[in-house]
Amino acid sequence: MKRILATLVLAVLAFAAAQGVTIGVLAPLTGGAAGTGQAQKAGFELALEEINAAGGVLGQPLKIIIEDTKADPATGVAAFEKLMTEDNVEFIAGGYSSGVTLALVESFKTFQPIVSWIGGAVSGIGIDNFDGIEELLGQEEWFFHIHPWDYANTEASTAFQVYTGVDTVALLHEDGAFGGPGAAGAQALLEAAGMKVVLNEAFKSTLTGGTGDFRAAISKAAASGGEMLYWIAYDGDAQPLVSQVRELNYHPKYIFGAPPGWPSDFDKVPEAQCVTGMIGYLPNLPNPEAQAFLTSYQAMHGTAPDNYMAALAYANLWSYADAINAAGTTDQAAVIKALQEGTFRSPMGDWSFKPSIEALHQGFGAEMWFIFQFQNGVREIVWPVDISTSPLQTCP
Amino acid sequence: MDLSLLPQALVSGVLAAGLYALVSVGLALAIGVIGIVNFAHGEFFMVGAFLAYQLFVSFGFDPLLSLLFVAPALFVIGAIIYLSSIRFVLKAPELNQMLLTFGVGIILQNLALLIWGGDPRTIARVPYRAIGYKIGNISIGLVPLGSFVISLILVAALYWMLARTPLGRGMRAVAQNRIGAGLVGLEVNRIYLIAFAMSALLAGMGGVMIAVIQSPTPTIGFGFTLKAFAIVVLAGLGNIRGITIAAIVVALSESLVATMVPNGDSLRNAVFFAIIFVALVARSRRAY
Repeated sequence: MKRILATLVLAVLAFAAAQGVTIGVLAPLTGGAAGTGQAQKAGFELALEEINAAGGVLGQPLKIIIEDTKADPATGVAAFEKLMTEDNVEFIAGGYSSGVTLALVESFKTFQPIVSWIGGAVSGIGIDNFDGIEELLGQEEWFFHIHPWDYANTEASTAFQVYTGVDTVALLHEDGAFGGPGAAGAQALLEAAGMKVVLNEAFKSTLTGGTGDFRAAISKAAASGGEMLYWIAYDGDAQPLVSQVRELNYHPKYIFGAPPGWPSDFDKVPEAQCVTGMIGYLPNLPNPEAQAFLTSYQAMHGTAPDNYMAALAYANLWSYADAINAAGTTDQAAVIKALQEGTFRSPMGDWSFKPSIEALHQGFGAEMWFIFQFQNGVREIVWPVDISTSPLQTCP
Repeated sequence: MDLSLLPQALVSGVLAAGLYALVSVGLALAIGVIGIVNFAHGEFFMVGAFLAYQLFVSFGFDPLLSLLFVAPALFVIGAIIYLSSIRFVLKAPELNQMLLTFGVGIILQNLALLIWGGDPRTIARVPYRAIGYKIGNISIGLVPLGSFVISLILVAALYWMLARTPLGRGMRAVAQNRIGAGLVGLEVNRIYLIAFAMSALLAGMGGVMIAVIQSPTPTIGFGFTLKAFAIVVLAGLGNIRGITIAAIVVALSESLVATMVPNGDSLRNAVFFAIIFVALVARSRRAY
């Protein structure tokens, strides 16, 4: 009887190994953040093709199952639970939106797969009466966070804002879990750097039921006289916001936007020229890893990647493949150890997981970011100056 | 509270009312004439916005020029949807009607997703989009002013049609008593068809105007549908004549709260839900 059971167990294990490793991916493929989700999907597909061309994972082709979160918390939780209960995956990748990530916290803790996450930047650090993702999940052995935390984002953007020499900043932000904490962190860092935040005002994003009429918030920003307009919101808010800034005759020296991605054709919008933003990857980034990624991406998808989430997704999947291969097994403890100790490839250069303020495993920090400016329909790198492709210009 | 912002808040509110009226009047037409609460109304609006985007991408059409093509296209789409689905539930319970229109809305959203994707699409070059005329401390945007004027012309044309043309009189007769209208020889089904198609046309034209202002997505109709319902409820279900005043009340209330209250823009949805609440309570008290 024991021999039969042992044979059965071995047969099941052999069958499972022959099936290969499957990684569950959560991304907003549709809805208001679909541009970012589709960019993630493109990055995952490129990494998957390269991984399998290089021999796959544990000698078998790697598989991914991508589920659509629609950037909606309830849909995100349902998609995750489907991956865990129907697809029986052991590894979760992807991720976008702090609101979705916060909604997933309890489900993550219930199932406890390895989660290696490229979205959800809200740390909660320094914000009273609010628990962010870093505070809620950072101490979990199985949770790995790749995207920089919000304080790293604001650290990088504040360094740029100091560089511009402005004294006053008007902050506009969407009123959800992304914009609110982001703006609070930005205000603290800007003030610590000696700048005066003359307005910190929330508005309803087009992603969360707003109609794209931001005139009330912009009127307040214009009345505040902020030399820099700094806005934190979603992709779909970018064009109405910059058009209405011009329409209301508000003339800040600089407009700095911090959406997770930019809408297609925004670079061709005349009002968008002079808008600056922060990004982790651009096709004109000079390092060889970025150029190699660009060539492979263009060969597969026919266009250049226009959203840094494609690069993060690529890094996300490759890190899983390298870690599982290094571990030589899908055993959770072994893969966690390999993720903790490994150095991984990405279009932004080599990276590894290190502790952050409250998290055990954090991928990128403020060093990932650089600043671009829309100039004549192109996103030119304007800061740091040593990698700039064009000088920073003031807005008309 | 910065009172120097009050004049701008008033101007922005009144100008926003034009578009709100245009989106709402189509919904009121469907409710008033056909007696159907159309949850797919926002999707007609979305389809109009995407058609304007497509005409720009494919032929370089300015959105103003697109209005001439989108209007008949939405009329035809509305007519097809009426003939293929709505007419079969006219005598069904209201819940069935609502569920059907909700389903039609989901189908339209997913069709848009298949055709245009979920990424926000931008009509890149609209030469007049960022123009604002400064008068003292007030800026009047050319786009909100233009959409206000066009919307009011369209709403006025609808009022004229309802008051002065045989078709409009027929619509009013059907709205008052569909059986009586049929008994005196009016083609009730034809009037329903035209009313529903016109409702889609008006929403679609609103969609073209919003495509100038913001980047269309398959879910763009949602926020405007909520506002349209608030306006229709405030005007009185099916009361087409009250729409313009109700639109001004909703748009002005939103603008004043958004501008004069700290972080007030976040309260926009609370404003129109409060308006729906007050209107329904006041109406129910009057009924007793």
